[in-house]
Amino acid sequence: MDILIDILLALLSVYLAFRCMLAPKLSKAVFVFFAFGLTLALAWIRLGAVDVAIAEAAIASGFMGVLLLDSLRDFSLTFSKNHNVIEVKPNNSVEVKNRSELFPKIGLGIGLLLFLLISLEAVWNIPEGGGLTALAGSKISESGVEHPVTAVLLNYRAYDTWLEIGVILMGLLAIFAAGGIKQYRKAGITPSQDPILRQAILIFIPVLFLFGAFLLYFGKMGPGGAFQAAVMWGAIGILLHLGGWPVFTEIPRRLRLLMLTAGLGFFLFLGLIFMTTGGALFEYPPAYAGLLILMIETFGAVSIAAALTAIFAFLTK
Amino acid sequence: MIKELLIVLLLLAGCFFFLAGTLGLLRFPDLFSRLHALTNADNLGLGFIAAGMALYIASPWTSVKIFLIWILTLLSSATSSYLIARFQRGQDKSKNRREE
Repeated sequence: MDILIDILLALLSVYLAFRCMLAPKLSKAVFVFFAFGLTLALAWIRLGAVDVAIAEAAIASGFMGVLLLDSLRDFSLTFSKNHNVIEVKPNNSVEVKNRSELFPKIGLGIGLLLFLLISLEAVWNIPEGGGLTALAGSKISESGVEHPVTAVLLNYRAYDTWLEIGVILMGLLAIFAAGGIKQYRKAGITPSQDPILRQAILIFIPVLFLFGAFLLYFGKMGPGGAFQAAVMWGAIGILLHLGGWPVFTEIPRRLRLLMLTAGLGFFLFLGLIFMTTGGALFEYPPAYAGLLILMIETFGAVSIAAALTAIFAFLTK
Repeated sequence: MIKELLIVLLLLAGCFFFLAGTLGLLRFPDLFSRLHALTNADNLGLGFIAAGMALYIASPWTSVKIFLIWILTLLSSATSSYLIARFQRGQDKSKNRREE
């Protein structure tokens, strides 16, 4: 019975991936992308990696999907506005565009081939006896948390996580540099004046906040943590923003920047303190490790949530 | 024995509503009736399956969680259906105005 479900999931995810790539319309591709993300999340659950499943469902499928949907709407708005302009263009300019697209295609192909080879190599050479699993498990009492995944992410390999938060901030900087504040110029009532939508948002916000806080704290003992909590909190900002309350853009600029950089900054600040007291960059003293990890995760979650909201608020043409 | 029978019945009822909803989504002619089919699947289908699962797991705490999941899904599906329908109605209205 289990193997049936697994085979079905595997076939379905590959099929949906192809459908997503080969979809004739952009809107169709976006909706298939949602479904693809959900099958991937289910596959991660079947593999026993609940942390990854939550992250996949929340960030990769949920957040990315909503972002794609939002940009699809912007795209269709600008496209329908410039529709005549595009049609008038002479044919030869299209040909030039096709030729210039050949180079990125080759580059993409080589990159994908390399990625495939590396993943095949990684699957082929799974270390005997589970690699570092035993070592990670034996040191868990010193890490300050009880869940091995959180211990790896925030203690053993804190450097990676720190840089991941940095990567999100870097992406956001690019958006700040290229974008502006999104304006909704649609005629008629704004979403916040709609009684049903307003009530639904008001019901969802406390639930999302509570669930995010739960995931943040629960990361200590089970699947969960800063990134998963951040998506829940980021969803609050996105809901408010799409519902017509641009709360995030009305926060004073300094406070906003502080929120965005708090995670990276606090992480680095702690690391530097450890260095001055004679340890390595992210070598927590075992007695305080649990508390410090919770603080780092809280600041990190606030920062990532703010970044996710900011991506929505500032990504525009 | 009776419990197992009840679980199977509930799950089957849930599957039936999901099937009916999917069929309606694929075959119904316009957006509003499709939305109607979809809400059947979401509300009743998921409700029956959630009830079946809660009975199967038979732990009060998990049952409460499953019930909460169902309530949240109800809320979000009702709101999104309403929004989609409102958008479609707005489009129809503006189209009619243009034709006049």
